[in-house]
Amino acid sequence: MLIELRVYTGLERYLGTRYGEKIPVTIDRSTTIRDLLARYSIPASEVSAALVNGLHKSLDYCLQDGDRVSLFPPVGGG
Amino acid sequence: MVDLSPLQEKRYHRNIQVPCVGVEGQKKLLRSSALVVGAGGLGSPAAYYLVAAGIGRLGLADGDVVDLTNLQRQILHFTPDLGRPKVESATDKLRALNPDCEVVPHNFVVTAENATQLVAQYDLVIDATDNFAARFVLNKACLETRRPFIHAAVLSMAGRVMTMLPYEGPCLRCVFREPPSLSAKTTFELGVLGAIPGLAACLQATEAIKYLLGQGELLVNRMLIFDGLSMTFETAEVRRDPECPDCGTP
Repeated sequence: MLIELRVYTGLERYLGTRYGEKIPVTIDRSTTIRDLLARYSIPASEVSAALVNGLHKSLDYCLQDGDRVSLFPPVGGG
Repeated sequence: MVDLSPLQEKRYHRNIQVPCVGVEGQKKLLRSSALVVGAGGLGSPAAYYLVAAGIGRLGLADGDVVDLTNLQRQILHFTPDLGRPKVESATDKLRALNPDCEVVPHNFVVTAENATQLVAQYDLVIDATDNFAARFVLNKACLETRRPFIHAAVLSMAGRVMTMLPYEGPCLRCVFREPPSLSAKTTFELGVLGAIPGLAACLQATEAIKYLLGQGELLVNRMLIFDGLSMTFETAEVRRDPECPDCGTP
C-alpha cells in the first residue's frame, strides 16, 4: 500500500526531508501511525496531532491505501 | 446609517481604497467588535491592527502583568510599563492610536466559569493565548455562543493560524484532541523570535476583518502553517470530526 506523509515544524529532521514535503511511503497492511513513527524514529511525545485525510486519528489508527498523513509537533506559544 | 466624518474618511482612506472594504465596509467595521484573549506576543499586534483598522469595539482579556522578558515581542508594552497589568498598558496605547474604537479592558484570566459570558459580548474571538487549557475553554465558549474563533500558536521560528466557524468547519478539538504533554517544550525553552507571533497575529487580524466584512476565503477547513527559517508557508487539510468531543454529533 502507498500513503502520503507530510511532517512539519522540526519533525522533518527525522526524515531528512523539507518542511511539508510530500513523502510517498510504501507500507504493509495493518501498519499504524505509531509504526510509521517507529520507522523514522520520531518520538510519539513529539507528535501533538496526527491527521489522516484532514481528520484527527489516534496513533493506533491502521493506515489505508492512499491515506494522506500529516504530523504536527506541539506548538502552543502566544 | 451614519456617514463617515471627514476625519474618518481621511483616517481610513487606505482601507476604503481596498475594493473589498470601501466606504460601506469601513462603516461595517466601525459597527463591529472583537475579543482578543491574551495581550502578549499575538494579542499585541492583533489588537493593534484591528484598532488601527477602525473596529468599533475591541475587548482585551489578560490577567498578567508586563515582565521584562515580554518586551522583545509584546509590542503594545514599553519599558516604563514593567509591572503594570497588561490590559491597562495595552489599553493606553490602543486608545491613543484610535479614539474611534471603544477599547474594553478585561483584567482577569479567562476561565470555564467566565468565558461564555465574555465571548457572548463580541462578534468574534481572537485566540492570542499561550496555552492549550485556555484555548480549549475558549473553543467551547465559541461553540456555545456560535462565535468565530481565530486561532494561532507559535514556537521558535514557526507558527500556525486557523479560523473556526462553529459547526461549519472543524473546531480546535477536531484537530488537537489533547493538550501537549507536560514534557513538550515551550517558548521558555525553545524561545520565539518576536516577529513570528507578529506574523501570525497579522494573519489573524486579516482573517477577522475578512469575516466581519464577509469577504474573501477564510482559513476554514485548512490550517496555515509556516516556518520562518525556510520561509515556507503551507496549508494542511483539516476537517470537522463527527467524533469530536466538543462539536461532534452526540
